[in-house]
Amino acid sequence: MNNSFKSFKWKKITESRLFFPIFALLLILLFDFIFIPGFFSIENREGNLHGSLIDIFRNGSTVMLLAIGMTLVIATGGVDLSVGAVMAIAASVAGIMMNPSALKNEVFFVTDPNFTFQPLWMVIISALLVAILCGMWNGMLVAYVRIQPMVATLILMIAGRGIAQLVTNGLRVQITYKLFTLLGQGWFILPFSLYIVAIVFTLTWIMTRKTAIGMFIESVGINFKSSFFSGIDEKKIKFLVYTFCGLCAGIAGLVASSNIKTSDANNIGLTTELDAILAVVIGGTAMSGGRFSLLASMIGALVMQAVTQSMYAIGVPAFALQAIKALVVIFVIMLYSRQVRGFVAWIGSPKRGV
Amino acid sequence: MSDSNQNILIMEGISKAFPGVQALEDVSLTLRKGEILCLVGENGAGKSTLMKALTGVDRPDSGKIFLEGREVQAKSPQHAQSLGISTVYQEINLCPNLTVAENIILGYEPYKFGRIDWAKMNALAKDTLQRLLGVDIDVTQPLGSFTVAIQQMVAIARALYVSTAKILILDEPTSSLDVNETAQLFKVMRKLKDDGVGIIFITHFIGQVFEISDRITVLRNGNLVGTYETASITRVGLISNMIGRSLAEFDEMSKIKLESSKHIKPEALLQARGFGLTGVINPFDLDLHSGEVVGLAGLLGSGRTEAASLLFGVEKADTGSITLNGIVIVDHSPLGSIRRGVALCPEDRKAAGIVDDLSVRENIILAAQASQGWFKFMSLQQQYEIADKYIKLLNIATPSADQLVKNLSGGNQQKVILARWLATNPLVLILDEPTRGIDVGTKAEIQKLVLSLAEDGKACVFISSELEEVLRTSHRVVVLREHEKVAEFSGEVDENTIIHTIAGSES
Amino acid sequence: MKEILSRFLYSNRKFLPLWSTAFLAIAAYAIGAYFFIGMRNPQVFFNMFRNSSYLLISAVGMTFVILTGGIDLSVSGVVALTTVASAVLLRDGWNPWGVILLMLAMGMTLGAIMGGFITYLKVQPFIATLAGMWFARGMCFFISDDAVTINDNLFQILGRTKVLIPGLMELAVRQGKQPPYISIPVVVGFVLLAVAIYIAHFTRFGRTVYAIGGNEGRNEQSARLMGLPVNRTKMLVYTFNGFCSALAGLALSLFVYSGHGLYASGFELDVIASVVMGGTMLSGGAGYVFGTFFGVMVLAVTQALIQFIGSLSSWWTKIVIGVLTLTFIGVQSILANRKSRRKGAQPEQALIASRRKWQRFAIGFGLLIVLALALIFTYARFAPVSPAATTENTQCDVKPFREDEAASLIKEGAVIVYHRTAGPQCVDELFAIYPDGRITGFDGVNKVEKQLPPEGVASLLTAISVDHKWFTDEIYSTYLNPCRQCFAHYILVSYEGQEKSATGVDGTTAMPPDYAFALATIRPLLPSFNP
Repeated sequence: MNNSFKSFKWKKITESRLFFPIFALLLILLFDFIFIPGFFSIENREGNLHGSLIDIFRNGSTVMLLAIGMTLVIATGGVDLSVGAVMAIAASVAGIMMNPSALKNEVFFVTDPNFTFQPLWMVIISALLVAILCGMWNGMLVAYVRIQPMVATLILMIAGRGIAQLVTNGLRVQITYKLFTLLGQGWFILPFSLYIVAIVFTLTWIMTRKTAIGMFIESVGINFKSSFFSGIDEKKIKFLVYTFCGLCAGIAGLVASSNIKTSDANNIGLTTELDAILAVVIGGTAMSGGRFSLLASMIGALVMQAVTQSMYAIGVPAFALQAIKALVVIFVIMLYSRQVRGFVAWIGSPKRGV
Repeated sequence: MSDSNQNILIMEGISKAFPGVQALEDVSLTLRKGEILCLVGENGAGKSTLMKALTGVDRPDSGKIFLEGREVQAKSPQHAQSLGISTVYQEINLCPNLTVAENIILGYEPYKFGRIDWAKMNALAKDTLQRLLGVDIDVTQPLGSFTVAIQQMVAIARALYVSTAKILILDEPTSSLDVNETAQLFKVMRKLKDDGVGIIFITHFIGQVFEISDRITVLRNGNLVGTYETASITRVGLISNMIGRSLAEFDEMSKIKLESSKHIKPEALLQARGFGLTGVINPFDLDLHSGEVVGLAGLLGSGRTEAASLLFGVEKADTGSITLNGIVIVDHSPLGSIRRGVALCPEDRKAAGIVDDLSVRENIILAAQASQGWFKFMSLQQQYEIADKYIKLLNIATPSADQLVKNLSGGNQQKVILARWLATNPLVLILDEPTRGIDVGTKAEIQKLVLSLAEDGKACVFISSELEEVLRTSHRVVVLREHEKVAEFSGEVDENTIIHTIAGSES
Repeated sequence: MKEILSRFLYSNRKFLPLWSTAFLAIAAYAIGAYFFIGMRNPQVFFNMFRNSSYLLISAVGMTFVILTGGIDLSVSGVVALTTVASAVLLRDGWNPWGVILLMLAMGMTLGAIMGGFITYLKVQPFIATLAGMWFARGMCFFISDDAVTINDNLFQILGRTKVLIPGLMELAVRQGKQPPYISIPVVVGFVLLAVAIYIAHFTRFGRTVYAIGGNEGRNEQSARLMGLPVNRTKMLVYTFNGFCSALAGLALSLFVYSGHGLYASGFELDVIASVVMGGTMLSGGAGYVFGTFFGVMVLAVTQALIQFIGSLSSWWTKIVIGVLTLTFIGVQSILANRKSRRKGAQPEQALIASRRKWQRFAIGFGLLIVLALALIFTYARFAPVSPAATTENTQCDVKPFREDEAASLIKEGAVIVYHRTAGPQCVDELFAIYPDGRITGFDGVNKVEKQLPPEGVASLLTAISVDHKWFTDEIYSTYLNPCRQCFAHYILVSYEGQEKSATGVDGTTAMPPDYAFALATIRPLLPSFNP
C-alpha cells in the first residue's frame, strides 16, 4: 500500500459529507435527551428490544428504503416522484395475490392467519416484479425518450394510484397472512424491517462501490458529456437507477402494507416521495447530481424520522407536525444553499498566498 | 471613409492572468470611428479575454481603456451597453419564444393608457430593422421561427436600439451563416460603418477578414503580434502572423523526430476511406501507421476537430468506411473505440474532458474502467497504482491523487485527461489541441511525450492551431481547409508551404 | 385535403394545444349530454362553473408561475389554511371584510416568502413550495383541529347570491323555466382571468414573465442580459400566486361554508393539470392564460361526467386527469426535444420536416382524444355497479354504511341520522337526532345520549334543509377510500316528508355542495363515546 491509499481512508471518515447529517441527528437526539424523559430507554420484552429509539428506526424504515433508491436517481441529476405510487401498486399486487376475492367483487372474510392464496415467495416476487416494471417505465421515459425526470415520473405519480386501485378493484384488501405481516411487524431482537433495510443497503453499497456503477453514476451526474467521451453509456446508467428506485419502492410498499395490514391504494406512501427526496437532500447529495453517499441519505431519513418522533413524544398533534417538518427543511436548505455555504467557507478558509 | 484619424476606442497595455496561465500580456488595440476592425487569432490567443475586459465581464489586471478620449471601465455587460459598447455573441442571447419586436424593444416598450402599445412597438421594431439594418421581416413572429442569420440581425438591432452604440462587437457571427446570409450581414455592417459606428469583428474565416475589414489586429498566445491595414497585407502574411514563426527548440526536436521515424511501421494500422459526414466534413482518406505522428493542420473551423470526432465515433459517418488492423469498424461509438484501442483527447477539456467533482485518480481511470464494463471493477489499490504512475510520468502537480480535478490548474487538468487516455493503452491516440491554454514549459513536455508515445509503437494524431508545434511533433502533416482535406506532406516540410496550402491558391 | 389541414394547423400552431383542449372539453360535454338527459339542463352546465370557480382562480395564478419555468406546490395548503383561518376569525367575531383582506394579505406574504427563497437563495421551486405547503397545512391544525363552520352573514350573501346571466334570463322566463344562474366567485374568477390576460399581454411584467421561462433556463440568462428585472418579476409572480391561492381559498369557503385543514387535498395536482392542458408548457416560456380556462373546463366536465355516471368511484377522475395530463406533457416534451435536436439542420429542410411533424401530431393527437373518450364511455355504459363500501380488517375498518338502520330510525321519528366510520381511531358510530332535542349514539358496544333544546334541533334542520338547500336536485354523492386520519360520513335528513342522504369523505375536493356545511354543523353537537 502506498501513502495515497492510507490518507484516503482517514479522509473519508472526516469528510464533511457525512459530518453535517450526523451532526444534525446528534443535535436532535440531544434535544430528546434533555426534554423527553425516557426517550432513550430500551426495554427488553421476551428477548426483543423496544423503545423510542428503536421506534425511530422501525418507523423510518420505509423512508430509508426509498432514500436508498432515490439517492441514486438524484445522483444522476434526476428525481423520482412516483415512488409513493409504486409503493401502493406493489402493496396492491401483494394484497391481491394473497386474497384475490376482491377481484370478483365479493367480500371474502379471511380469519385464518395461515391462509394465503399464493405462497409468500410468489407474493413477494410478483409485487417486486411489478415494481421493477414501473421503474423500467420511468427509466425508459427519462433515458430513451428524454423527457425531463420531474415530468416523466409525475405521470406515474398521478396515474399510479389509479392503477393501484385498479389492481384491487377499488377495494382495500385486508392482509391477514401472518408470514407476510412479519415484514413490517416482526421482531427478532430488533424490528424485522431493520434487517430488510440493512440487507438492501448492503446490497446497494456493494453494487455501487464494489463495481464501477457508483463511479459511473457520479460521473454522469456531474458531466454527462465528459462521461460520454470516456465511454460511459449515460442511457444505460439512467435506466438502471430508475429501475432500481422502483424496486426499492416496491420493497418499501411491502413493508408499509404489512405494517398496517392493508393494501390501501389511496394512502400508502402518500407524501413519502417528498420525505425520501428530503432525506437525500439532508444527506448532502445535490439535486443537480454528482457525488452521493448512501449512508448520509439514511442518516438524513433518520433525522426526519427523529424529528417526527420527538414531536409526537412532546405531544405535538399529527398535522401540526407537517409545519415543523417544513421549518426543518427550510433550515436545512438554507444551510446547504450556495450563498450560506460560500459565506461559511469564506469565514473558515485560511488566507492562502498564490 | 469617414474621419479615420478619430480614435473612438483605445485599449492600452491590457494584461490578464488566470491561475497558471497568462491569458493576455500587454495588449493594445485601437478602433477608429466608422471603421471595421477584425480581431483575429487562433484558440487561446486571448481574443475573448480582451473583449471580456472591454465589456466588463472580467476586469483586466492592468491597463487602461479610453472611450472617446475618456477613461472608462465597464462594470458589467449592462453597464458596458449604457456606455455605448454593445456585443452580439455567437449564441444569440435573446429569448426565442418572444416575438422579434419584443426582443428588440422589451424593457423600453411604448405605453398607451397604461398598457403596452403593440402597434407602436411593432412599428418601431420594423422601422429599426429597416432603417438601421435594411432588413424587412414580420416582427410579430416569434424569434425562434427565424434562421440564425435573422436572429443575429435582431440581436444587432436590439443593441442599436437600446442605446446609441458607439462600438459594436460581433463575436464570430458568421459561423452559422451561409454565403448569402453573410453577404447580407456585411451589407448591414457597411451601413453601420457609414453611420459612424466602430465595429470589432471577430472571426476565423480569413476570406471574410479580407472582404470586410479596414484593419486587422492579430493576437497570438496572449500577445499582440501587430495591427495591419488590410489593404497592405497578404493572406499568407496574415496567416504566418497568426500561426507561424517558431520560437526555439526546433533542432533538438527534429533530432528526436528523425530517430523515431525509423520505428514507423509500413502497414497502416487504421485506414479511413471516403470517410465523411454530410454537412460536417467532406469524405477524406487517412492512413495511420504504428509509430507515427500525423499532424492535422488548418485554421479553426477547417474541420480538424470534426475529423477527429468522426474517427473516434462521437458522431457516426454517413459515407465511407474505417478499418482497424484490417477489420472494418461497424458500430462506431466512443466506448467501442476505447475497447478497440482508439482514444481521443477532446478539444474542450472543460465541457467534454474533466469530470470536475471527481478526484484525479477517478478521472484518470475513468475511460479504462468504462472499457472494462460495470462489473470488472478495478480495486482501489490498482486505481492508486495507475494514478500514481501517471502523476509521476506526466509530472502532474497535485497534492494527492484524491484532489478534486476542479482545483487543479488548466495545464494540470489537461495532463490528467491525457493520463486518462494513456491509461487505456490505446493503439491509436488522437490529441485535439492538447496544449491549449498551457504554459510553454508544459507544452514542450507534452510534445516530447507525444513523440515518445509514437516510439513506443502508438499511432498518434496531433491537432493544434500552432503550426510550429505541429511541424515539430509530426512525421507527416495533413492539411485541412473549409471542411476538406486538401493536402498531405511527409518528411521535412517547410512551414511556408503549409501556410500557403492553408491560405489557398491566392497568395 | 391532408395538405390543407396540416398547413392550416401549422400556421396557427401556437394555438393548437389550446384548441385541442377546448375541443376536448366541448366534445366531452356534448357526448355526456347525449347520454344523460340531466346534463342537458342549462343549470347543470352553469353549475360546472360554480363548482370549479376556485380551481379557475388558483389556476390563473399558477399559470404565471409555470410560465416562468417554476412551480408552486403550496396552493392546496394555502387554500386550506385560508378556509380554516377565515372560519375561525369569523367565528371569533371579526369583521368579514377585514377577514377577506387579511386572508389575501396572508396569501401574498406566504407567496413572497417562498418567492424570496426561490429567487435570492436559489432554492429549487419544487422544494421551496413543498415546504410552504407543509407549513401551511400544519398551521391549519395549529388553528383548529376540527372543521369549523362559517355562519357569517356577508359570506352567506357572497356565496348564495345568484348572479343571473343577462341574455339567458329573458329566454328562460319566456320558456317558463327557472333562469340559470352562476355565483359571485365565478364572476370573480372571470374578472381575474381577464385581468391576468391583460397583464400577460399588455404589461412589461407579463412579457418579462414569458421572457424568463423556457429554453432550459437560458432564457432567464438572456433576459438578465437584456436588462429585464428578472428577480423582481419572479418575486412578484410567486406573490401573485399566493394572492390567487388565498382568493381561491375564500371562494372555496363560500362554497362549503366551513374550514378544515383536510380540504383541498391533492388540489395542487388538479391546478397543474389545468394549466398544462391549457397549453402552457411545464418548462415555461410558452402558453396562453386563456388556455388555462379550457384546462379548468376539462377538469370540470370530467367531474360532472363522473358524477352523472354515478357508479364510478371518484378515483376514476384521478385516472382520467392523469391520462390526459400524461398525454399533454408527454407530447410537449417529445416535441420540444425534437425541436432542439433539429436546430442544426438546414432551415428549409427544418421547415418541411416540422410541417410533416405537425401533420403527424394532429393525427396522433386526434386519435388519442377519441381513444380516451371511448374508453371512458365504454366503461360507463358497461361497468357493473360496484359496492360503495369496502370491508374488514383488524386494524382499520371502513364499515358499510348502515343505511337500513338509518331508514328505520327515521321511521321511528328521528329527523337527522349521521353515520361515521374510519378516522384515526377507526370508529363506527351511528347517531340519531330527534325533534325533541334528544341525540342518541351507538357504536355497536356502547350507547350514549345527549339532550339539546328542541329549538336547537329545529333551527339546525332549517339551516341544513332550507338555508343550505339540502333538498335541491344538486345533491350527488362521491365516495373515496378515506385517508388514515379521515372519516367517512353518511347523513340522512328527513324534512317535511322528504328524505335526502349523502355520503362523503374528509379531505377531498369532490364534495357535494352544502354537505360540508351540514357536516360541520352536526359534528360539534354530537356526544362523544369516550368518558
